[in-house]
Amino acid sequence: MKNIRAQIETKKYVFAFVITAVVFFSALLISNIFSRNRIAEVKSIEDKIAMDILSSETQFALLKESSCKSIDHGGTAFSEELGVLAARLSYMEEKLGDNDEEVIGLKKYYSLLQIKDYLLVEQVRQKCGVKPLTIIYFYSNLGDCEDCKREGYVLTKLREEFPELRIYSFDYNLDLSAVKTMRSIQGVKNKLPALIIWDENYYGFKTAEDIEKIIPQLKRIRAEREKEEATKSATSSKN
Amino acid sequence: MIEVFFDSILYVFLFLTLYLEIFFLITFFEERLKLAVKSTTDKLSYYPSVTIIVPCWNEEKTVSKTVHSILKLKYPKDRLEIFVVDDGSTDNTWKVVQEFANNPQVKLFKKENGGKHTAVNFGIEKSKSELIGCLDADSFVEKDALHEIATAFNEDPKMMAGIPTIIIHEPKTILQKMQKTEYHNIAFFKRMLSPLDAIHITPGPFSFFRREVFEKIGLFKKAHNTEDMELALRMQSNHMRIRNVHTARVYTTAPESLHKLYRQRLRWAYGGMKNTLDYRFMLFRREYGILGMITLPLSLFAVVIFLYNFSFVAFHAIQAVVEKATEISTVGFLFAIPTASPFFFNTEFMAILSYIFLGLGLVIMWNGVKLAEGRFRPSMGILYFIALYGIVAPIWFTRAIVNVLFSRATSWR
Repeated sequence: MKNIRAQIETKKYVFAFVITAVVFFSALLISNIFSRNRIAEVKSIEDKIAMDILSSETQFALLKESSCKSIDHGGTAFSEELGVLAARLSYMEEKLGDNDEEVIGLKKYYSLLQIKDYLLVEQVRQKCGVKPLTIIYFYSNLGDCEDCKREGYVLTKLREEFPELRIYSFDYNLDLSAVKTMRSIQGVKNKLPALIIWDENYYGFKTAEDIEKIIPQLKRIRAEREKEEATKSATSSKN
Repeated sequence: MIEVFFDSILYVFLFLTLYLEIFFLITFFEERLKLAVKSTTDKLSYYPSVTIIVPCWNEEKTVSKTVHSILKLKYPKDRLEIFVVDDGSTDNTWKVVQEFANNPQVKLFKKENGGKHTAVNFGIEKSKSELIGCLDADSFVEKDALHEIATAFNEDPKMMAGIPTIIIHEPKTILQKMQKTEYHNIAFFKRMLSPLDAIHITPGPFSFFRREVFEKIGLFKKAHNTEDMELALRMQSNHMRIRNVHTARVYTTAPESLHKLYRQRLRWAYGGMKNTLDYRFMLFRREYGILGMITLPLSLFAVVIFLYNFSFVAFHAIQAVVEKATEISTVGFLFAIPTASPFFFNTEFMAILSYIFLGLGLVIMWNGVKLAEGRFRPSMGILYFIALYGIVAPIWFTRAIVNVLFSRATSWR
């Protein structure tokens, strides 16, 4: 039979191809714009934290001879800020990959800020004799640390539950001299996950209960909080 | 490195899928004015003589309803005859159809069991009509369906076959509701393929052929249990025009259980690939138009592309579920609830592409419902389709590929 079939003009194939290409690459572009915005957001949080640390350091230098009470660097707000930053950074790391230059840059900056904060807290501790609640955590995401993910979940939970707790997390393999120095000063071996709590090194996965045993203050904080809440609810029910 | 390789293949497949969706949407845009034309109920200047064959094998429960629906068709009684062909039923089908024994429009035939296509061929050989169609005994038609088909044949003398829009009748189970939406989508694509001369199936329920089709290219053949596809491909290879008459609506019942659906779809997917391989000489040949360039390559490779994309999604979904389960088992359910913040809204390239696919898919579904039902009505079927189809379809697609690779034939039932 004679071919009476509808023949499609090349123009239509090409037109569909052009639209597809535009849609496809627009998706890529939009995704990049969102990524860049995220990076900018993380950077701005980091800058804010850097400013806070600098402010606290300056305050500390100014008040060296004065009362410890005036030094404003032990509160929970700062720890919460670090927590927010950690969550965002870990999300970016997951989405953009461990090898993304921007992510590595943000991580290095974050690590430096943590070290600076740690040093400041140490100085306050020496001068004022307070015993801060801090945990230093070394992890690896090269695939050689099976329990690091779970340890991360435990520490995030503790951070949310106890804003008083300062958790400093470091990528064991991060190519940053300050982190390497921190690693060697603390004598951390490559047996991850590793936790350093009050100058004592702990290796392997630790549950929230294990950590609460090492830091008994956490239980006390919880008990006090529960007591406070019970009093509050008793008062409100009376009213 | 391996990840980059697999990702690259995925991107190529996604680009191709997007290209096809856009191609069909452009066609839709071109056709939209014709789609708005309402079906006509005016008298025809000429009523071609018509034979409708009802092949049945153990259809005692549904055959009567099917024949009654044909008798109710708005078509001159002297121009329409019905052949009920009992293909060696072992139940009471033959007894049930005796209620039509005295109806001058209905002729009853009984033959030895030989498969559906033999029953249809039996009827074709006995028919003298200009148009010959078939209606499975699990389907029934709207009153003006034949009128619509005859109108289309009258308007286009070169049209050799007219296929209807198939709608799932009263879906009850979740799977049936999912299939209803799937059939709406099929209705959309069939209508778009029609002006492109690229239809590759003349489905069993209510497809009509000019009798010269059978005179020129022969009767139905046993073809991997998908005879309706083989005949369509044979017609296309002979440059015979097949058109979709979307205003002719036929209702069919959908498999209600996963096992029955699996059997049906395995047969379709396997038959689709095997028939395409049998007619591979049409693949990528411009003389066969869109059929050669798009429809046939799709019916061969779509299963592979679908499964590849599905594996990717499944791999990431399983990974996410395992991670969530680990998180819950480590810190408890309450602490595993994700933080609600726009920061964590997924805007990865792949996620944005998924949103685009979902959007375009909804446009197609919307218009599919409009084409099939006359107007858009939201239904749970759309949700079931979006949520379930990607999970259940890989079951029969995977098996179909295995069967094609190892040449394992499927069965009708």
